[in-house]
Amino acid sequence: MNRNSIFTLIVMILSSLVLLFILAPLVGMFIHTGGAQFLETVKDKEVHQSIWLTLWVSFTATFIFSIGAVPFAWLLARKKFPFKNVVQGIIDLPIVLPHTAAGIALLGFLSRDGFLGKTASLIGLNLVNHPSGIALAMAFVSLPFLINAARDGFAAVPERLEKAALNLGASNTKVFFTISLPLAWRSIITGFVMMFARGMSEFGAVVIIAYHPMIAPVLIYERFSSYGLNYARPASVFFILVALLFLIALRLLSLKRKEKYNNPNAQAD
Amino acid sequence: MLRLININRRLGDFALTDINLEISDGEYYVLLGRSGSGKTQLLELIAGLEHPDNGTIILDNLDITRQRIQDRKVGIVFQDYAVFPHMTVFGNIAYPLRVRKADKKFIAEKVGKVAATMNIKHLLERSTDKLSGGELQRVALARTLITSPRLLLLDEPLSSLDTSLKDDLKRLLRNLNKAGQTIIHVTHDYGDAISLAKRVGVIHNGKIIQEGTVDEVFKNPSNRFVARYAGIRNFFRVNISGEDGLLTAVTEQNVRFKLNGAKSAGESLLLVKSDSIILTNEIPDDKELNAIKGKITEIIPSESGMELTIDAGDLFYVKIHSSDMKKLRLIDRQEVWMSFPRDAVVILNGTF
Repeated sequence: MNRNSIFTLIVMILSSLVLLFILAPLVGMFIHTGGAQFLETVKDKEVHQSIWLTLWVSFTATFIFSIGAVPFAWLLARKKFPFKNVVQGIIDLPIVLPHTAAGIALLGFLSRDGFLGKTASLIGLNLVNHPSGIALAMAFVSLPFLINAARDGFAAVPERLEKAALNLGASNTKVFFTISLPLAWRSIITGFVMMFARGMSEFGAVVIIAYHPMIAPVLIYERFSSYGLNYARPASVFFILVALLFLIALRLLSLKRKEKYNNPNAQAD
Repeated sequence: MLRLININRRLGDFALTDINLEISDGEYYVLLGRSGSGKTQLLELIAGLEHPDNGTIILDNLDITRQRIQDRKVGIVFQDYAVFPHMTVFGNIAYPLRVRKADKKFIAEKVGKVAATMNIKHLLERSTDKLSGGELQRVALARTLITSPRLLLLDEPLSSLDTSLKDDLKRLLRNLNKAGQTIIHVTHDYGDAISLAKRVGVIHNGKIIQEGTVDEVFKNPSNRFVARYAGIRNFFRVNISGEDGLLTAVTEQNVRFKLNGAKSAGESLLLVKSDSIILTNEIPDDKELNAIKGKITEIIPSESGMELTIDAGDLFYVKIHSSDMKKLRLIDRQEVWMSFPRDAVVILNGTF
């Protein structure tokens, strides 16, 4: 066996160990969940409500924040401005903060004494223990995933194409919507899916803002701490399956988007 | 008419300096320069993709120096085509009309018409990732022409095409120009310049160093750089002495040239056009001719025969037909006479 193949073999063994480390607990959890227990959980209204709440709140948070985050990502990819590196560091801050600490920081901001909490209370909205508060906590910890992926996507679009579009008479806005955005679309969707997935799996920041209404990770923790592992497992399996289905559906939808630009009868936006 | 007046633009270490240019309506102007000479930057300034640090750009008596790109009506076709990969050929050509919110029927008609002129009507429904270089070039050209630009800027349009596609595109460009389209074409290829240009400008290190008709520029190159473009390789640094009518130029290796007309004495650069040099085995009778004896040191086959390197103290490069080669029975290391008239000797003024 030559040196190259020994090296390849060692790399493959190490890779398999890492892969196994990720898969083993998940597979173990699926194996240890009995069919009857699982069916019972599937019928459990509390679990339903909790998973639905997690999905729609995370999706809404991702959708609303993407309206600002995607143009922000374009700005980071295309423009030079003072303290750009500092801004980039601030964006990555939520990734390195302990999430409970992020929750505490947010609580100060969202409670009735905080700026946003006070403003929301003027229209009779209490952000703490409310889906809107949960959405903000999810967005806080997951926004960097969308911004960074979209920024890389925009940076990968050749500037030449944007220049050509300008030369052909398109305004800056039209260039953004007809050239930059469609060409960075895949990266934006990847970022969108990552932000959505990261948001719905958030526990630390959300549990401090809102124990109730219970999102799925809080429900799983509550079942574990009150009834033990056997009660927490089926809810976890159900949550994972539903989340996976949702992610796959999102991916498929994003692929369809591309076709619009190849239709000769379509009018550019 | 386009006028560039004292255009300057610094980009890092590189600068376009004092660019002055006048291009008339319907002209085919070729800007010739090596890569990095600043020719693409100059096109981008005219198109409005970049702005000059100072100077003025006037198009049809209107100062467009600070005008928006979209309002200039100057179309540019990039070297890498910049065809939109997420649109079909139709989508690409229709793009300028769609962003102007033109009527669908009008778009379909106009795209069909331009595509027919470009001979790409059969490609309209195709995705651009399945097209060849030549087809992409035509799509990019069609997409620009559909905007009816007052001025068409072409950045190395022939550089990545094979010979037959090159000829087709040249024909197309000539026809466009004949139909009245003003074209500025930048290239590094001397052949493209002589086959297409009405006027040619040579750009070097961000400066236009010579301008004129093809004949004016290449028959009387103002410096070594331009001469090299015309394939002239016989350059010599010489010292000129003597009086009018009896001027001689001498190289450091003591090779002597008889010169014509009034030249100023002193150091200069001299070139001899290689197609003016005649080879003989004996010294020519005509005493008015320049006659220099040398030894053949290299024989390389070329398109029309052979290229000989002859050492006469300084190296000369001479092209000769294969039949003449046989007739003279020239072989390596053989001594030979080179003769050429006085007017084949050109003294270069300006920068060396």
